[in-house]
Amino acid sequence: MSTSIDTLESVGPSALKRLQSIVGNQQFILLLVLVALVIFFGERNSLFFTSSEFSNLLIDFSGLALIAVAETYVIISGGIDLSVGSTQAISGVGGGFAMQSLMNHHMSETGVLLIGAVICAGIGLVVGAVNAVLITKANLVPFVATLVTLSAGAGMALVFSRGAPIGQNPEAVAWSATGIGPFTWLVIIVISITTILGITLHVSKYGRNNFAIGSNSFAARAAGINVKRHIASVYMLSGILAGLTGMFFYIRSGAGSPQVGASSNLVAIAAVVIGGASLTGGVGRITGTLLGAGILTIVTDGLIFINVQPTWNQVVVAAFIALAAVLQSIRPGLRS
Amino acid sequence: MKRESLTSGALKRSRWIGAKAVIAASLAVSSIAIVGLGSASQAGASSKKFSIAFVVGAEADPFFQSMYVGAHAEAKKLGVTLIWQGDPVDYSPSTQIPVVQQVLAEKPSALVIAPTDTKALEPYVAQAIKKGIPVFNVDSGDANQKNITSWVTGNNVQGGTAAADALASALNYSTTCTSASPCTVAVGVSSITTSTDAARLKGFDAQLKAKYPNITALNPIVSQSQSSVAQQGFAQDISAHHLQGIFAIDGTDAEGAAAAITAAGSAGANIKVVGYDAYASNIASMQGGKIAAIISQQPTLEGKDIIKYAVQRLKQGNAKGIPHLLTLANIVLTPTTSQATLNKYVYTAS
Repeated sequence: MSTSIDTLESVGPSALKRLQSIVGNQQFILLLVLVALVIFFGERNSLFFTSSEFSNLLIDFSGLALIAVAETYVIISGGIDLSVGSTQAISGVGGGFAMQSLMNHHMSETGVLLIGAVICAGIGLVVGAVNAVLITKANLVPFVATLVTLSAGAGMALVFSRGAPIGQNPEAVAWSATGIGPFTWLVIIVISITTILGITLHVSKYGRNNFAIGSNSFAARAAGINVKRHIASVYMLSGILAGLTGMFFYIRSGAGSPQVGASSNLVAIAAVVIGGASLTGGVGRITGTLLGAGILTIVTDGLIFINVQPTWNQVVVAAFIALAAVLQSIRPGLRS
Repeated sequence: MKRESLTSGALKRSRWIGAKAVIAASLAVSSIAIVGLGSASQAGASSKKFSIAFVVGAEADPFFQSMYVGAHAEAKKLGVTLIWQGDPVDYSPSTQIPVVQQVLAEKPSALVIAPTDTKALEPYVAQAIKKGIPVFNVDSGDANQKNITSWVTGNNVQGGTAAADALASALNYSTTCTSASPCTVAVGVSSITTSTDAARLKGFDAQLKAKYPNITALNPIVSQSQSSVAQQGFAQDISAHHLQGIFAIDGTDAEGAAAAITAAGSAGANIKVVGYDAYASNIASMQGGKIAAIISQQPTLEGKDIIKYAVQRLKQGNAKGIPHLLTLANIVLTPTTSQATLNKYVYTAS
């Protein structure tokens, strides 16, 4: 009898701790917010629960997720990449020229898109390499280095395109809507890439090094990590993902637009911050970033869906960012 | 000590490598900038006597690129120097005002401006006039502004009205949209505060109210001049409202609308899109069956006419014979419009 009472007493506080831990977990709170938003918009217009709308949300989410994941790697390493938006533009424009040329030579649509993806990723890699050189060789702080490539990329996209979208590829737009149920091929590709990058960040040695460098780069160097080489690789990875996002928007809109991604660097950073990453480095999770991107997508799309005056859109988005920041700040209190 | 010396050496080498990287990057950026400047300076190669400063907003927009073609050709024909300037992307007084100040410092003979905000630019217009520099408006402006010599513009309210008529026609209004089963249309704007967008929306809404009461327009989506943002918004409206039509109020919104109905597949197949601005991409979408009609402005003619009036004012020393306001008609382009007409109105940068 006394044994069973002892067991109950020991289980009680343990369960309470587990409950406190779950409630205090930022990602759990974000998940609750996301579910609440879905219920709210669905309550206002039941068409929000249709397969076509789910497909819309997924594809809008995917465009943001790819660069938000790139930004997560960079922010956890203790840096920041402001150039992801303009890299999308210059990649889309450069890829657009190349794909237009391939289409003029009657290459198959699949071949055009595959080569286009490689070219866009390659352009992104070049931008990432420039960032890497400026940060690791010229010793510029990441904010300044990526500000340089942000301006240069946006400017060059306008110079080369002369302000107009490059290429007309309606077949690519039609393909962007195909897939398995609401999961289009584009979404499936993005989910695959983010899954691989999530596992790499949280399981592999490369990911552990990333956290170590973001937490304390001196200690990481003392532990034998080649910090500069790792930092360079992170910015090149970010460039490749931004380049692929340029290809993503080329496929969605059927052309490479120099205006694409104009504000997406800030939205990506917002998703990472909402997801719980620290701008000082060393802290963050891919799942948190994806939840942050999901919340921003649902708020932006949902407000249009329920026909809210556009003047309110930015105010509501800002309110959610503030709410997430407050939740983040009270999280340690909940844990204790 | 040796270690310090080595560290210092390594540091110096690191700094030298860093300096080389910065120099190389700077040279690369400078080279690109010089190439760009070289081509831009061709605009001013025909300098003879008068110089006309021409300041636009969002200079890279195909609309202003097309305006440049007309202004440049007329300036060359009349033997005057054209100083063409404007922020490449931002359509904003905060970026336009410094450009205006800069060109005024060059003491041009006349100033042509497409004001991004008439009120915000007014002090700089007054400053120019005080210095004896006549000022002309093109595209945007204010009909009550008396101190400008002339204003050449498209009629944006009429453009919105024409868009409503074109959309009703494409929808086959009398049979499709009834009081029992009204039609719903989405509207996309770049900015709800831009005077041109607001005027078009005003004309569109007024015409719906007056002639097509069975068409309901949703609250506009705001694209911030990005076709991908417009596409995302139109996709939401298509899912939420069983749309019959879309009015895309400018070129980038029209691009977004065409992509949204293509991506929507069968759900977008019967949606009629009326767009604004004859971008080459929008003409191609219309010929591909994605856009029912395009309201085209005449930016090349606007650029040509305003230079003509500026030179007339400079040569004769007064505004005699120069209209204070010249409103150019908008042209409605449809899939049945001849290729020759499409070639005439398509916005082109060359």
